[in-house]
Amino acid sequence: MATGSTDGVAGTDRSLLGRVRGRLEGPNTVGNSRGFWAGFALAVVALVAYPLVGSGEQFSLFLVLALLGLSLSVVWGYSGVLSFGQVVFFGVGGYAFGVVSINFPDATGITGAVLAGVALGAVSAALLGYFMFYGGVRDVYVTIITLVATMVMNTFMAQTAGSEWTIGEAALGGFNGMPAIPLLELGVSGVVSYQFVFNSIELFLPAVGAVEVDPFYYLALALLLATYLGLRALVNSDYGRVMVAVREDQDRTRMFGYDVKRVKLLTFTLGGALAGLSGVLYAARNVYIDPQVFALWFATLPVIWVSVGGRKSLLGAVLATIGIEYFRLSIEGEMALVVLGALLLVFIVALPGGVVPWVSDRLAGSELEMSEIDDTDAPREVTDS
Amino acid sequence: MSRDGISRRKFVTAGGAALVSGLAGCSGGEASDGATTDTMSSADTVKIGVLEDQSGNFALVGDPKHKASMLAIQEINNDGGIDGKEIEPVTRDPQSDNQRYQELTREFINEEEVDALWAGYSSATREAIRPIINRNEQLYFYTTQYEGGVCDETTFAMGPTARQQLGTVLPYLVEEYGPEIYTIAADYNFGQLSADWVKVLANENDAEVLDEEFIPLSESSFGSVINNIQDADPDFVMSMLVGANHTSFYEQKASAGLDIPIGTSTAMAQGYEHERLDAPAMANIYAGVNYMQEVPTTSNTEDGGFVDRYFEKYPDAPYLNEEAETNYFSTYMYKEAVEQAGTLEQPEVVEALESGISLGTERAPEAPEGEEVTLDGATHHVDHHMWVLRADEEHNVEAVENRKVPEQFLSETVGCDLREESEQTQYTPVDYYEEAE
Amino acid sequence: MVNGLNLAFQFLDSFAFVVLAAAGLAIIFGIMGVINLAHGEFILVGAYATTVSATSLGLPLPLAMAAGVLVTALFGVVVERVIISGFVPNWIGQRTVGRDLVEPLYDRLADSMVATFGLSLIMVQGARIRFGNSIDQIATPFGNVAYGEFSYSTYRLVLAGVSVALLVVVYYVFTRTDFGTRVRATMADEQTARALGVDTDRTYMLTFGIGSGLAGLTGALFAPVLSMQPTLGSQFLVEAFVAVVVGGPSVVLGTALSGGVLGAVNATVTNLTDSTTFGRIALLLTAILALRFLPDGITGFVERVRTRREEGE
Repeated sequence: MATGSTDGVAGTDRSLLGRVRGRLEGPNTVGNSRGFWAGFALAVVALVAYPLVGSGEQFSLFLVLALLGLSLSVVWGYSGVLSFGQVVFFGVGGYAFGVVSINFPDATGITGAVLAGVALGAVSAALLGYFMFYGGVRDVYVTIITLVATMVMNTFMAQTAGSEWTIGEAALGGFNGMPAIPLLELGVSGVVSYQFVFNSIELFLPAVGAVEVDPFYYLALALLLATYLGLRALVNSDYGRVMVAVREDQDRTRMFGYDVKRVKLLTFTLGGALAGLSGVLYAARNVYIDPQVFALWFATLPVIWVSVGGRKSLLGAVLATIGIEYFRLSIEGEMALVVLGALLLVFIVALPGGVVPWVSDRLAGSELEMSEIDDTDAPREVTDS
Repeated sequence: MSRDGISRRKFVTAGGAALVSGLAGCSGGEASDGATTDTMSSADTVKIGVLEDQSGNFALVGDPKHKASMLAIQEINNDGGIDGKEIEPVTRDPQSDNQRYQELTREFINEEEVDALWAGYSSATREAIRPIINRNEQLYFYTTQYEGGVCDETTFAMGPTARQQLGTVLPYLVEEYGPEIYTIAADYNFGQLSADWVKVLANENDAEVLDEEFIPLSESSFGSVINNIQDADPDFVMSMLVGANHTSFYEQKASAGLDIPIGTSTAMAQGYEHERLDAPAMANIYAGVNYMQEVPTTSNTEDGGFVDRYFEKYPDAPYLNEEAETNYFSTYMYKEAVEQAGTLEQPEVVEALESGISLGTERAPEAPEGEEVTLDGATHHVDHHMWVLRADEEHNVEAVENRKVPEQFLSETVGCDLREESEQTQYTPVDYYEEAE
Repeated sequence: MVNGLNLAFQFLDSFAFVVLAAAGLAIIFGIMGVINLAHGEFILVGAYATTVSATSLGLPLPLAMAAGVLVTALFGVVVERVIISGFVPNWIGQRTVGRDLVEPLYDRLADSMVATFGLSLIMVQGARIRFGNSIDQIATPFGNVAYGEFSYSTYRLVLAGVSVALLVVVYYVFTRTDFGTRVRATMADEQTARALGVDTDRTYMLTFGIGSGLAGLTGALFAPVLSMQPTLGSQFLVEAFVAVVVGGPSVVLGTALSGGVLGAVNATVTNLTDSTTFGRIALLLTAILALRFLPDGITGFVERVRTRREEGE
């Protein structure tokens, strides 16, 4: 079991830290020990410090995409709905952000555009989800419908090049993408606002000197951490248990009196909102969005990330997204794609449950072995007189 | 482009440059006023970034671009470099993926600190990286044929525009065959805008567009398109089909027995269909382009000419395409501009480019497409030497017309002058011509 | 009248495309529960093998096509043994560390998607490395059918005929031969089939080989009409998946019916709106509606109607 450590008595510990940990831990996520949280804290510190040594501007892309991976993990890993359509909500969120922010290009408007993107991601997911789940579509057919929905968006958006395809001031742009998206500035105009994209914060550190860091990186990091912890709390809550029950056996859960369709719809909507948020950040970061986000290739990527990372693990989704995307960007040369394909093949065939659960099992397994040795020693000590 | 704050890379390379500069030797030409002191701020090499597709959907047309850039760089280096400085090419494969293009562009600008960047095949790629280019005020050469209209302060669109290409082949075909035109085009920005230009040009040449048909990029079955053409019975067809799937049209039209003349800006010159497809698929196709491998100028086809030099460096290359030539001569134009400016600092080089660069000098030899090729400083576009090339039943290509065609839309109709006013816009014909509606 | 003929030919064209795109995939998905995202690349193998046989080896076209099918079928068997069933890795594992290394990918939808996606990356880039960005195409055989001011490529009509013939042959194999019965038994209930003496392992291998061979046939047949580039497989993928799932559990009938319905929708909407884009979107939307209102696909719906009517009698 995942709770390999004996100091997992966090739930009973009445301190604030203990209560928080109690919320965030449970059988539905890996890492329920002090060791895990120590490592987690270390990782957070490392990520905060990363822009000092590496390119925060570039790494922020992986953080943004990790949100997309999380959205699929929630929908698939925790409700059993394999959705190829997360990129639909991703794209809808991004385009919505573009349209609203172009029409209202001041700080208030842009902040509103962010909310609009998330909201539209959620709404479109709700609509598609209602159409599918309340229509009795199950299993692989859900997957295919989401895939076809992605294809429809791709075909449709690619031909919106003409000037008639304009919402207010915003031209959809067709295949060439949406031009002139304003730079992300959050806040209320005239009161307090800050520009996150194409901006830099100058820090003065002792012994290193003046260093420039990218504020968007920290925005993305903060949102990713908040989302991850929030999702941890959610899946370890009562509702999370219902989600997992739906994933494991829909019919049995229904017979226990739970409204399975509603659970799937709500989870799917949440997934849409997260994907929408990821899309908003993506469009904001790149100051651009185009129909390539609806392409089959891009629709498959989240499935790849979550499968390799471990679909039943939020941490797996995050780590795999960042790892795979970083690897994909770094490799170079003729054989690059061949190597990538081979790695995917080997990973999924060798570790079908994903990397993080495998690692977590190994760590838990080694602890059990130790205690087993202890147990077998004990009787001998007693009987050996 | 200059950035505040200490860049470690800059410091190291400047230090290294100080050591190496003593061994660099004199520059090749006389125009080295101020060169030695100004260029000490950057390294003793010229960093040229080349981001062209070598895999993915656009590999077929992107790879020759990469190769031609490397050829030009090699030739310039063998000849003493730019102002005595060697060119260091920085290249990676963007795999026809716009997201990747954006990341690599960021890397080339921020980490590699390239002095000039050549990047991208499709217009979508150009638009995807333009925000980054603009933010960093990076000197950027876009060398593919495209719809036209980009008036951008640091972008130099060196390829022919739709108006230049269609404006060369359409009038010729109207004269040869008659005034009734049927347009088929890829259903996206470039195709739609090119179709608009067909309407504008038809109006200017007393011709008429009977109908237009737009086909999605993913489509490879053209039975209905062929039937529609037969139904409309035009004098000739204007085809702006793009991509691998659309290549099937020519094969299918030939096997359906449709032998109407077709004018095109996209076929043959980029994807060399006349070599890949069996004759007579491309028979009676007229390409309006600035360059094809078969262009009969001395600098291109003579012994030791461009074609010979390209295939000597790349004996296994299948074809020398339109965009490759643009990559090639634009590198020489850059060299000319740097030597004229006397520095690698990008704002000054942009200014030198804006003063108007001509080829056919010692520093920048004649372009393979023709003698009279000039960079129009005001619009950042090129007055190309355009050709109409026809493929016959055996797929032999011959040039039937050629002349210099200046950039017209931005300079005359829109009035874009980047020397006077800074801009970052793309204009479309719909806003200026009624008949493009 | 003449326009009716146009519509008919365009429908046949669309029908042939969908059926041929889907054929191999339907068998593999229907029988093994494996989603083969490398399906387009199997078509690529068939197309390239055919083209290379015809141009470099100088084989006449029918022989070149046969070669294309054979090469793809063999390749499919290799893929099945190494990746899908894990037979080869497990054989190595048994001999080295004494246990199975991997699990078969049957009925593991998501995992088979990831694995075959990786495979497709390898195949596309491998083709690019080995053959370059394009290879020369073979000419389309036969001429054209002229009627009035219109004409249609005879070869495209031949393809329509081949697709129908293909369906008939596959139907015959699956319902009238021993092998077909064994395959259907394995598909219905693998455990029982094995208990009754069916070598399910070998059945899977042969089925995947046949499915791959069919994909290779699609590549071979379309070789004269497509641009020979490593990415040529991608244009078949969407139609193939959509047709397979809309078709439902019955492999032959399902593919035929969905090919018919989707092809008809595509051809009709394209003709009415004069826009290939909207024809395509209509095809995709039809698929979504079909999946929503006929959750077991077309043939599942037919089955239910039939059982209900039988019960009603």
